[in-house]
Amino acid sequence: MSGAGPRENVFPTRMNLTTTKTRLKGAQTGHSLLKKKSDALNKRFRTILGKIDEAKRKMGRVMQLAAFSLAEVTYATGDISYQIQESITEATFRVQTKQENVSGVILPTFEPLMSKAEGGNGGFGLTGLGRGGQQITKCRETFAKAVETLVELASLQTAFVILDEVIKMTNRRVNALEHVVIPRLENTISYINSELDEMDREEFFRLKKVQSKKKRDTAVRDAEAKEKRDAAEAAGIEEEEEHEEQEQGENLLAEKDEDVIF
Amino acid sequence: MEALFFNSHGGYLEGIVRGFKAGLITQTQYNNLTQCESLDDFRMQLSATDYGNFLANETPPISTSTIAEKATQKLVDEFNYIKSNSVQPLTKFLDYMTYAYMIDNVVLLISGTLHERDTHDLLERCHPLGTFDTMPALCVATNVEELYSTVLVETPLAPYFRDCLSAQDLDELNIEIIRNTLYKAYLEDFHSFVLSLGAPTSDVMSPILSFEADRRALNITINSFGTSLSKDQRAKLFPSLGRLYPEGAFALAKADDVDQVKVVLDGVVEYRGFLEGQTGPGGAGAAGAEGATGQQAASLEDHFFQYEVGLNKLAFLQQFQYGVFYSFFKLKEQEIRSLTWIAECIAQNAKDRINDYIPTF
Repeated sequence: MSGAGPRENVFPTRMNLTTTKTRLKGAQTGHSLLKKKSDALNKRFRTILGKIDEAKRKMGRVMQLAAFSLAEVTYATGDISYQIQESITEATFRVQTKQENVSGVILPTFEPLMSKAEGGNGGFGLTGLGRGGQQITKCRETFAKAVETLVELASLQTAFVILDEVIKMTNRRVNALEHVVIPRLENTISYINSELDEMDREEFFRLKKVQSKKKRDTAVRDAEAKEKRDAAEAAGIEEEEEHEEQEQGENLLAEKDEDVIF
Repeated sequence: MEALFFNSHGGYLEGIVRGFKAGLITQTQYNNLTQCESLDDFRMQLSATDYGNFLANETPPISTSTIAEKATQKLVDEFNYIKSNSVQPLTKFLDYMTYAYMIDNVVLLISGTLHERDTHDLLERCHPLGTFDTMPALCVATNVEELYSTVLVETPLAPYFRDCLSAQDLDELNIEIIRNTLYKAYLEDFHSFVLSLGAPTSDVMSPILSFEADRRALNITINSFGTSLSKDQRAKLFPSLGRLYPEGAFALAKADDVDQVKVVLDGVVEYRGFLEGQTGPGGAGAAGAEGATGQQAASLEDHFFQYEVGLNKLAFLQQFQYGVFYSFFKLKEQEIRSLTWIAECIAQNAKDRINDYIPTF
């Protein structure tokens, strides 16, 4: 694990190890949070999907009804489109936008707004007064309903698109964290750990080596000294004993000097 | 007296019209039409009738509006043929028939001109029966004074305008009121003209015109509930003829909801059933009644159409009179409406309502 996979380009120091560990922790927290968000969004997405399906079916029905009521009007009154166009001064059907917050995503929702201006007949004036006024009113109501459905569908569709986008983005982030950032940080940590271990082992080995070298040196020196002592004993002159001891003392001093450096 | 010399000036045309009448779509043909699966089938079925190949030159995706347009064109052609062959007083009678369309066209042009629309677009939308030579000139005028003094004074509609309009009213709301006032004046004028023609014609035409007047009065009353139209204004729009006039009209002017209209209608045997099932739940206020009218509206209009067709059919029972001309064209119009309805039902796949047309013969 240590060598495999990408890792960050850092020096394997203890400080870097701590920083990387903190970052890993952060990444993990972020990952779980994003995962939760993505789940919440997905849930919402699915409900919207269901609603859209329903609204679309409803729209089909309502539009058919509306078109048919227009046919009724044409049957009863003839072509009224021009009169209607002329007598309209302002829109009676308006759309209001509101914002809805779904786990940090701002979704615009549209709300139909009927203004009951001009004598409750929505600015149609007295169109169809002579004949077919009731059909016209009915037709207007049906179409108002149809437009309402359309508005509803529009806000659902918008939410759908936006949610889709956001879900994709969140999933991308989650995946990036899960499959790129977190493994890399883990790799870095294990790399630093292994490097540090390696360094520890090197140090340990060096110490051992020095120790063993020192041991050897002392052993050699002891052997030399013993040899000399043996030689002196072999000479066996008691008078010279003192002199020899002095020499040895001098030698020891000289050697110690070298040791001190180490 | 009338019958003695009728054939010398009107016999040929009466024969023609009765011939046309035989070409009206019959119940069996309607049945065939309602069985159609697509508009192509519909066209095929129609080609077996008097309409012949009137849709032959249309490119395949036929819209219902094209069908209506072409059928209307056929009606206009027939009308023009009869009119060009007619002599007085039939010519005058036929002229009177066109006035109704003229009123619609003039009102359309007035409203269009006030909003500075493209005149060519407007002229295309005018009913072909109601066209007159100076009609395009209407688009020049910008207010009623000017309109009247420059253009309308030349047209047969001038007296109607003179009677009903003071210059200040030509705003949004008043367009419909102008239309209905004109129509009221027109109906009254037509009626007096018909009476002046004498016995057989007036016998036939009087009920038809009276019914038309009653129908307008009823419609205006019912449609003005809940609008800004005051009761005084409403009363002014009622034509001063018809079976409901005068007491019925007076009561209608006072009516506040459908129930009161119903009470008025109970006085006339023929109209009694029209508002059956039209009332809201007992003792409901204006709002409840309004909701109920929305649902039942179609049936009232259907009753009207049915009764009108019945009256027009009666016109064919009498000979030596002009009522047949009026009736034939009204029936033809109804036929066009029925055809459009059936076509619309086929196009929109609403087979359950397809039988709501009004058959003529």
